[in-house]
Amino acid sequence: MAGFGNALRLSSEFIAGVAVGAGLGWFIDRMAGTSPWGLIIFLLLGFGAGVLNVLRSAGQIAEFGAKPPAGGKGSDRK
Amino acid sequence: MANDPIHQFQISKWIPIEIGGLDFSFTNSSAFMVATVAAAGAFLFLTTSSRGLVPGRLQSISEMAYEFVASMLRDAAGSQGMRFFPFVFSLFMFVLVANLLGLFPYFFTVTSHIIVTFALALLVIGTVLVYGFWKHGLGFLKLFVPEGVPGVLIPLVVLIEVVSFLSRPISLSVRLFANMLAGHITLKVFAGFVTSLSALGAVGITGAVLPLIMTVAITGLEFLVAFLQAYVFAVLTCMYLNDALHPSH
Repeated sequence: MAGFGNALRLSSEFIAGVAVGAGLGWFIDRMAGTSPWGLIIFLLLGFGAGVLNVLRSAGQIAEFGAKPPAGGKGSDRK
Repeated sequence: MANDPIHQFQISKWIPIEIGGLDFSFTNSSAFMVATVAAAGAFLFLTTSSRGLVPGRLQSISEMAYEFVASMLRDAAGSQGMRFFPFVFSLFMFVLVANLLGLFPYFFTVTSHIIVTFALALLVIGTVLVYGFWKHGLGFLKLFVPEGVPGVLIPLVVLIEVVSFLSRPISLSVRLFANMLAGHITLKVFAGFVTSLSALGAVGITGAVLPLIMTVAITGLEFLVAFLQAYVFAVLTCMYLNDALHPSH
């Protein structure tokens, strides 16, 4: 059942990224009247953020604001 | 309907209150929140009131909870993070006790409603934002610029990081809510099998043993999930607070 917990954790991270991207794009469209470009661009950014969230939560990429390993400029792999 | 697995999440108004067209009713959800706070507070107060130098069994539970959260916070956010200890400890105890109370039959699970967990997550992110900007000013924004990114990519990366940051309260709240909701529905569905199978006579009663075993096993698992989710919520809170304390690279 540890796999179930992992699945919930990673999927919630990914879905949250996409949902926030879409919501933000929709909100910007509504405010600025740029429909549908805000939604399109921010949905794509949301997918990026979702993947980033999943990688971070799986420990594949350093956390926000974490120092990259010494000498590892340009690669923030742990 | 006794076998409806969603019925347990229904909000019912106990004392209807309406102020200026807004609904402020005291519901079963509010009652169990009060019960959660009262139970957690009473437990901590009563078990530590004797202040034994050699802790008794209950006092050592309280002390373990304290040590557990304190070391979690110190590991994630350093000793500077200890100023947030009351906040993280209250959050941890609230989520833990709410999850555990929800495991009693006929009790309402406060944390199985997304609005409750979302409010908790907003509190965390709000604290991070307010403290981060108050402490570091605009330097807090460095959080969104990872080191070693080529200049051309910076606008794109910053946008993705901002969306990723904003998605944190969502994933924090969805995780807790989804775990509690899914667990309670599974439990109820298997328990429902027991009653509907045993209505079928002798064969059904023999068959009902299987979902009964499952129900017992899932109840055990739910205790684990209740602890685990409270722990995960607190750990992530510590990590986010760490960002507020040390945003620079």
